[in-house]
Amino acid sequence: MTDKKNQVSRRQFLNYTLTGVGGFMGAALVAPMVGFAVDPLLKGEKDTDFVYVMDENEITNEPQRKTFKVDQVDGWYESQVDRTAWVFRDENGEILALSPVCTHLGCTVDWNSREEFSNEFFCPCHDGRYDKNGVNIADTPPTEPLHAYEYKVEDGKLYLGKAKSRKEA
Amino acid sequence: MKYKNIDINQYVKAKEYIDTALIPLIPYSFSNDQELEDLALQGEYIYLFANQIEKELKGRVFLTPEYYYLKTDKITETESFRLEHLINHMKSQPFKYIFLLTFDNKWRKVTKDMDAELIWIPAMKGGDLNQSETQQLVQSQIEEIQSLIKDSWSE
Ligand code: FES
Repeated sequence: MTDKKNQVSRRQFLNYTLTGVGGFMGAALVAPMVGFAVDPLLKGEKDTDFVYVMDENEITNEPQRKTFKVDQVDGWYESQVDRTAWVFRDENGEILALSPVCTHLGCTVDWNSREEFSNEFFCPCHDGRYDKNGVNIADTPPTEPLHAYEYKVEDGKLYLGKAKSRKEA
Repeated sequence: MKYKNIDINQYVKAKEYIDTALIPLIPYSFSNDQELEDLALQGEYIYLFANQIEKELKGRVFLTPEYYYLKTDKITETESFRLEHLINHMKSQPFKYIFLLTFDNKWRKVTKDMDAELIWIPAMKGGDLNQSETQQLVQSQIEEIQSLIKDSWSE
């Protein structure tokens, strides 16, 4: 009698412990893996860096296409990627450096590339249009203005940082 | 768009805008060392081409996973069936435009009657991906392919 009782409880005991340990092991395995996978993605681009792009006195009223390299942390890899900006002075003389990435679905827009839409940014993918200041034109697919790079000018040199949404501006 | 979780999230919400599929065709064969070297290099070039094209036209072009196949003297019937099957699958999603990207001119005959357009790039032997002349050449070819795709949209 007692023997049988013991057996049962021993089996139960084993059962409990094994499930417990198994569960623990599972948790221990899964937790760091999720951390691994998600962590680098969350870091994204380092946002501290400003990169020299051009001299201030080269900036014209006409947008100029400038490319520059930034360090990007993409997943586990850190690599250099090309960025492009359309740089010019707006009608108030303010510097504007626009990202060419269409705010609709991310194609690359071009300046003044269509005869029928002169002095506009045009997106070849779904005919998205933006005025010179990068503000999206109604009834074309984009839903917000082209993003603008943060910039600073030091000793007559223009540095660009990250491109930011101007939705709330 | 790429075959990546983050892009797929966007794709499924905007399918009607992404009507073009770009399929890189990548051959391999281990039977001859020199050929293996050449094919691997070409594979890298195709990867580079495909990525640059996608980058510029992300909002309308879906870069599919690479299509790998065993390189043989002649493209086998099995192989062309397999590709056709894939093309039909993509067409029915619907992707309106299907582009195949390849260095292998043997596909020209085989894909003639398929519902896809073959973009054939003349093979590049040797050459260093990091050399600036190579980069310039590649860049101009990429631009040509991009305008070819854009032209087919406006037809
Ligand atoms: S991606 Fe530019 S208009 Fe759609």
